[in-house]
Amino acid sequence: MSAQLVDVDHQAGVVTDELAEELRRRLTPDRIITDETRLRTFECDAITGYRVVPALVAFPETTEEVAAVVGVCAREHIPYVARGAGTGLSGGALPVAEGIVISLARMRKVLPPDVDNQRMTVEPGVTNADISKAVAAHDLYFAPDPSSQIVCTIGGNIAENSGGAHCLKYGFTTNHVYAMTLVLPDASVVTVGGDGIEQCGPDLRGAVIGSEGTLAIATSITVRLLRKPEDVQTMVADFPSAAQAGEAVSGIIAAGIVPAAVEMLDELAIEACEAAVHAGYSLDTAAALVVEIDGPAAQCEEDFDRVQEICQEAGSTHVRVAADAGERMLIWKGRKAAFAAMGRISPDYFVQDGVIPRTKLGEVLARMEEMASEAGLRVANVFHAGDGNLHPLVLYNAATEGESERGEELSTAIAELCVEMGGSITGEHGVGTDKACSMPKMFSEDDLEVMKRLRAAFDPTGISNPGKIFPTPRLCGEKPGPYREHPLEASGQIERM
Amino acid sequence: MSEVTTQQRTPAVSAGREKRPSSTSEAAELLRATQGSVLLRGGATKLDWAGRVDEPDLLIDTSDLAGVLTHNPADMTASVGGGTRLTELQRHLKGDGQWLALDPPTAETGATVAGLLAAGDSGPSRLRYGGIRDLVIGVTLILADGTVARAGGHVIKNVAGYDLAKLVHGSLGSLAMIAEVVVRLHPRPSGALTITGTADADQATAAAVAIAAGPFEPSAVEWISQSGSGTLLVKTEGAAGYLDSSRSQLTSMLDGLGVTTRQLSDEDAETSWQEHAAAVRGEEQETVVRICTLPTRLGGLTSDALDIAAAADVEARLISSVSLGMHTVRIRGGDAQGHATAFTELRERALAQGASVLLRSRSFEVDELVDALGPPPSTVELLKRIKTQFDPAGRFAPQRFHPWY
Repeated sequence: MSAQLVDVDHQAGVVTDELAEELRRRLTPDRIITDETRLRTFECDAITGYRVVPALVAFPETTEEVAAVVGVCAREHIPYVARGAGTGLSGGALPVAEGIVISLARMRKVLPPDVDNQRMTVEPGVTNADISKAVAAHDLYFAPDPSSQIVCTIGGNIAENSGGAHCLKYGFTTNHVYAMTLVLPDASVVTVGGDGIEQCGPDLRGAVIGSEGTLAIATSITVRLLRKPEDVQTMVADFPSAAQAGEAVSGIIAAGIVPAAVEMLDELAIEACEAAVHAGYSLDTAAALVVEIDGPAAQCEEDFDRVQEICQEAGSTHVRVAADAGERMLIWKGRKAAFAAMGRISPDYFVQDGVIPRTKLGEVLARMEEMASEAGLRVANVFHAGDGNLHPLVLYNAATEGESERGEELSTAIAELCVEMGGSITGEHGVGTDKACSMPKMFSEDDLEVMKRLRAAFDPTGISNPGKIFPTPRLCGEKPGPYREHPLEASGQIERM
Repeated sequence: MSEVTTQQRTPAVSAGREKRPSSTSEAAELLRATQGSVLLRGGATKLDWAGRVDEPDLLIDTSDLAGVLTHNPADMTASVGGGTRLTELQRHLKGDGQWLALDPPTAETGATVAGLLAAGDSGPSRLRYGGIRDLVIGVTLILADGTVARAGGHVIKNVAGYDLAKLVHGSLGSLAMIAEVVVRLHPRPSGALTITGTADADQATAAAVAIAAGPFEPSAVEWISQSGSGTLLVKTEGAAGYLDSSRSQLTSMLDGLGVTTRQLSDEDAETSWQEHAAAVRGEEQETVVRICTLPTRLGGLTSDALDIAAAADVEARLISSVSLGMHTVRIRGGDAQGHATAFTELRERALAQGASVLLRSRSFEVDELVDALGPPPSTVELLKRIKTQFDPAGRFAPQRFHPWY
């Protein structure tokens, strides 16, 4: 008996009128979309450069309905893509041409929290921020806080193993989920995890979280809730250079302090953020660090004083401490608006999500600057400095001949530089469609082949979100390299911004 | 009274069938060049967890796959050979004021990093730092056919590719050999405070809920049952100022719950925690069961365990990570039939209430009388398919999860 691997290029079935009718009967007619104009709403996620119009979108409202839609897909061999709010930044929810999109947007039930046991069960369409809102009265919250948290859903957080600014101290989605009900690609319904934090056997809950919708659809999720910390202290420290800000970060870590968050913004990023939200960042500084410490008041105070000393020792020219929750919110508003604010200083941009060992920060920033000047482009930097997760924003103007190609080349080169430095191509955005072709830079053929064995166990026929994570000859061409026209682009099925 | 020995846990293996590869490639070659069943052995501290594996065709001892491969103090990451003992790693890290934030009871008896991951074993401080699943950031696996595969990496934030470290967590050597492990490190806390007191199960539960609602970052809330009552152990770590304020707040809070406390000196605290670890490991001839529940079910579980044990003419003792809902139940005294009856009934009762149950150590006599795994989970067909994909010939730990897969 030998292992069968997924054939992602299998002959897919077709969504016929009869099939759409069957799904209308199984759900309700208003919850099945086949009309071209409405289908277009689902053609991309937040990486709008990749667009594919699906054949049908279904809006199940229960686990049984999800299983029913998946069951039809399994029977007819039709690829499907589960979708939350579509805020993903890797093309992970890009539909498959002729495939079905299963939108979980209508599954928004929130069960009453179990306050003493600090957990709550929700459906996948509930937004990340609404989880915390629902339990705020009990002084509890859900720790993962991706920048898109107002809109993004817990189902999407599970697919991407979302992090956020505070994951340095609190971890990622995988550290905050106790149990899930899953619909597998054969339409069977299983439970992973449970009341107990240890289960007998392999940790399938952990294997599914972060699998980008390729293994299962979570239809009910029991999340772990944390008690709000007694105290939170936030500061912005200005530095004459990014390297010095990097030294301060190393100093904080070396002092044995685990901040709740450490974010860095460079001059360009500050300029954009200030233009957009006026959060009070200094405009005349090369780099700014946002450091947040939380926890018991006595511990928080001691750590926060030490952090300020360390920043001064590293050459900080100015430190601004948030006097109250309002000022703290403004600092974070500035930081979280960074991506959207880029429009203020550049018509177009690519965002990367590479991770480097924290100690390589200075070296990587210098290399990025060289690479940017070679390409004749500007790069703004906003990143989670505590865990080495960079978000370089490659600025370009699509209207200028050749700039978008140069921008994409530079963007990919930066991601791959992170791998060379011993890091990763993605810290939180996921591989999706966008970075699938860079996977061989990070993993060997055997590594990927073994991952595909897991895929094959869950989804032997490869119908669940095909074309994501793993490079395929169709997507990446025969030889690795920078931008080439996507075959789906050439055929007019997808288009780039 | 003696602890469970390595001897008791390792099945007999004929001479020549035991191999000790000294590198990942040598281990891979060994698997490629052989056929038949394989038992992986690290520190041999949990070889009998779940189903017991019969004499294998090949026993791979990971002792020589040991050592710290990289340690980047400033990045707070390290990579080790899977066979590295946790105590050895901690010694290595101590000089830099760091540690792998794990305190499993089996550390002192020789648990290895790969073994801890394979078993998903953790200790009281999981409350603050998470378990080993939360601290491993990369693995190198060797499949039964000798394929070597890495997942994760050397950075603490990374979502590229499947998280295979989670897949082998709890697999007890049934899916792949864990050759190398990359971990995230934590700074050693500058100080610690341990408070103890006498509390029954309900008081312990109330204490855990109150501590969680208070301004603390607790590192451990443990309870050890004693006839009619029990001992509560609470630990928190941090700077002197925080420990000072915690001391008075914790004491008055527990006092309000009727728990009279005393603070342990650092020395006494260390002794208490060592005794606690030994209590979780259990003793020879005991049947040791791990049960995980909702934290507030402690009272119900305790009375169930005591009632069921009394009816089967055995004794039950619980050691609970109260805030985590993780319980070690030690069944002792009486005969093998009593152990088997008590274990089976307790599992049935616990499963019916949504708990998870793992049979840890027990005597060979008890083995003859129980179904080690119990009813299969809803994922059993999926588990079978995973086993077929990763180990199609069924080489690794064949009886470990029998009859599930």
